[in-house]
Amino acid sequence: MTAAPDLPTVTEGATALSISGLTKRFGATLALDEASLAVRPGTVHALLGGNGSGKSTSIKVLAAVHQADAGQLTVGGREYDLRSFDSVDARAAGLRFVHQDLGLFDGLSIAENFALDAGFPLQAGTRIRWAHLHERVTSVLDSYELHVDPRTPINELRPADRTMVAIARALQDADTSADGESLILVLDEPTASLAQHESALLLARIRRLADQGQTVVLVSHRMSEVLSVADDFTIFRDGRTVATLVDASPTEDELVELMAGRAVDALRPVAASSAADELRLEVRGLVSGPLAGIDLQARRGEIVGVAGLVGSGRSSLLRTIFGDLSPRAGTMSINGRPHVPRDVAGAMRDGVALVPEDRGREAAFADLTIADNLSMTRLRTYWSWRGMNARAEQDVSRRLISDFRVKASGPAAPFTSMSGGNQQKVILARWLQRDPAVLLLDEPTQGVDVMSRVDIYRTVREAARRGTAVLVASSDASELLALCDRIVIIREGRVDEDLDAETLDPDDLTRKLLRATSVRQEDETA
Amino acid sequence: MSITNEPVTQEAAAMTNTEQSTPAESAATSTGRHRPSSHSFLGFAERYALLGLFVLICIVFTLNPTSGDVFASMNNVNAVLRGQTAVAMIALAAVFPLVTGNIDFSLGATCASSMVLSAGLMSNHGTPLLVCVVVCVAFGALVGLFNGVMVTRFRLDPFVTTLGVATLLGGVIQWYTGGQTIYQGISTTLTDFSYSKIAGLPQVTAIVVVIAVVAWYLLAQTPFGRSLYAIGSNPESAKLVGLPVRRNVMLTFVLGGTIAGAAGLLRLAVQGSATSDSGTSLLFPALAAVFLGATAIRPGFFNVVGTMIGVLFVSFSVSGLTLSGVDSAVQYVFNGAALLVAVGFSTYLGIRRRARG
Repeated sequence: MTAAPDLPTVTEGATALSISGLTKRFGATLALDEASLAVRPGTVHALLGGNGSGKSTSIKVLAAVHQADAGQLTVGGREYDLRSFDSVDARAAGLRFVHQDLGLFDGLSIAENFALDAGFPLQAGTRIRWAHLHERVTSVLDSYELHVDPRTPINELRPADRTMVAIARALQDADTSADGESLILVLDEPTASLAQHESALLLARIRRLADQGQTVVLVSHRMSEVLSVADDFTIFRDGRTVATLVDASPTEDELVELMAGRAVDALRPVAASSAADELRLEVRGLVSGPLAGIDLQARRGEIVGVAGLVGSGRSSLLRTIFGDLSPRAGTMSINGRPHVPRDVAGAMRDGVALVPEDRGREAAFADLTIADNLSMTRLRTYWSWRGMNARAEQDVSRRLISDFRVKASGPAAPFTSMSGGNQQKVILARWLQRDPAVLLLDEPTQGVDVMSRVDIYRTVREAARRGTAVLVASSDASELLALCDRIVIIREGRVDEDLDAETLDPDDLTRKLLRATSVRQEDETA
Repeated sequence: MSITNEPVTQEAAAMTNTEQSTPAESAATSTGRHRPSSHSFLGFAERYALLGLFVLICIVFTLNPTSGDVFASMNNVNAVLRGQTAVAMIALAAVFPLVTGNIDFSLGATCASSMVLSAGLMSNHGTPLLVCVVVCVAFGALVGLFNGVMVTRFRLDPFVTTLGVATLLGGVIQWYTGGQTIYQGISTTLTDFSYSKIAGLPQVTAIVVVIAVVAWYLLAQTPFGRSLYAIGSNPESAKLVGLPVRRNVMLTFVLGGTIAGAAGLLRLAVQGSATSDSGTSLLFPALAAVFLGATAIRPGFFNVVGTMIGVLFVSFSVSGLTLSGVDSAVQYVFNGAALLVAVGFSTYLGIRRRARG
């Protein structure tokens, strides 16, 4: 294997940040193999790659979480040896990071979050000068189009604003650095936990930051978003830089092909509905959370998409069917029998399965093994008075790992040793081994790379083919269209539209979703 | 709102596709990506390090001329085992809540008050032994239930709740005993029992072993035990795979309290009298043992076998040190240091395990 050659498209003078010869080993694994990256000032530079491509590792090297085995970094004309690059260097080099987990203190105000990062302004060395702090934070917020009171607690902000606050906080010393040395903003999966319209809002702001001269390095799994905002693209594969596209507008397929290293057609799932006439799930007049009377049906083998804006109650719908929330009114039935779950265990007995939205917080047992994570939904089947049948458990886990194309060293490996995509496959396998009558998926491919996403779609379709009725709540229009037979849009707590997925394209669907807001806003102004 | 899409001029697009590897190649690299066989020897060493350390200190104190003769004698072994009955029981009791991520500081006090309660019943009311057994165990279960309800129903912090209960029980002991030791009227059946032996070892130790086996079975070999580790790992995920999180956490407090209640009776049997001690002196060596145990057998997780090795390690180290002529205050220093080292080490293990991701 040869090293990536120099990238001739970028000239020396035009780089804000460049990395060359970046190599990093983890034990026997070569995570980065002479990777390189060159970012032009004032651009949004997208860093792309599948699982294990090395893009996350390279960001971690820049953030000084990992030390490289070899590599040079040049920022603003200064050279750094990445073998001994520490967080002080990273800060001095003007690198500012906003990770997927924003690192904000939810219960504290915006101003307090700023001050915890930069220090509280003190009077006579003791008393905090709150007025001064609020004034300064307000002016920083204004420059980032955040017109909110700095005393607002973080958890009262909308998701896109939270990310923006984290960005503003990361860049808060931008104007104070007198020598005009510009900061470089590195965003690691900033939209991974945002609904589509929230991320659109965020990306538009990021775009405007770049237009004002801010240099941004963006890591994201969401291809369509990256395409909408990035100027340049660097694609990693197997620890090497395989392509750099400067000032380009490639298609999604081109990018996926570069990331995968093979033709993309093979990855595209073939949509063929396996819906039968038999009714699996029926929901009537369901009132729960923001839901104000949902009527919904899903047939055997049918994949139904649940679309709606954030707060529309997509997750509440799934969680009510799953017995985690109690409905205030309405009825549910599964296979014609009434479904009145008292709790999650009750819903599971009726054949319901839920893959929740936030894998890390709601599905993973991070420090337990893959086998532990898989067995958790059927522990009793392994038990007899002689104890847990460890061998059966290992055998089943091994089979599931191979059936669901999970890349893992074995059932005894820790759950977190896998990438996000493989973790999600394990969560799916955890539920599908129970052959559920109704499978509920909440943002099933959040934080999952393109390659695993294809596997997950195939798995879900296969489950439908075997007779499971699937409900997919997603904020990703193209995901809903790629996966579903039918899409319902929830608006004002009710099913507002029931659409045949084949007649739609992502733009149609997005437009229909967004129309809901504009209609509502008009109502409010009237 | 829409995304500000910057249409970039197509002719400026420059593509540098430097290398194409075949799918087979890339698949091979990515499967090999996950942990190499690093856990073969190192993993083994990690699991049995504490046991090795225990054997090592036994050898050292046996070879040490000042302590050797006494230390290795069967009398000393029996005395240590007998003396550590309550500590071992409390350690076992503490494992259950700890597995779910909760700590019970009241176990020492539960044991001590159960001891005073049974001594008082026998001494002042002539209550038969069998009734005392039932009362002790029920009392422990009730204290556990109270803690469990406070923590799961009312969502109080387990640390503060159980510390409060411990202080309260300590106060009640002081009030009831008036600082005096109860030594009259203790059932001789009970005290004699503590001196009787089975297979050359004290019978009270046999009881500890039986309870340890039951605890091990519950934690390692039942869906209940597995659910406790799941709750300890992530309570929210545990709830969303249908596990009865609140009920099971409550049960861990009840189980812990029950064992601590029984420990009180065994301690009375061993000592033959009930002091007005609040039980803190029992809790800390027990916690040291549990945390040491979490570095062994199943490193990073509280477990029964590790805990038992921890108890042996702590108690025989203290015995060896005392026999070597070190000031008896050393046991507090040793227990405290062992607790700190164990907590530090298991935290380090936890961090390292997470960092592997």
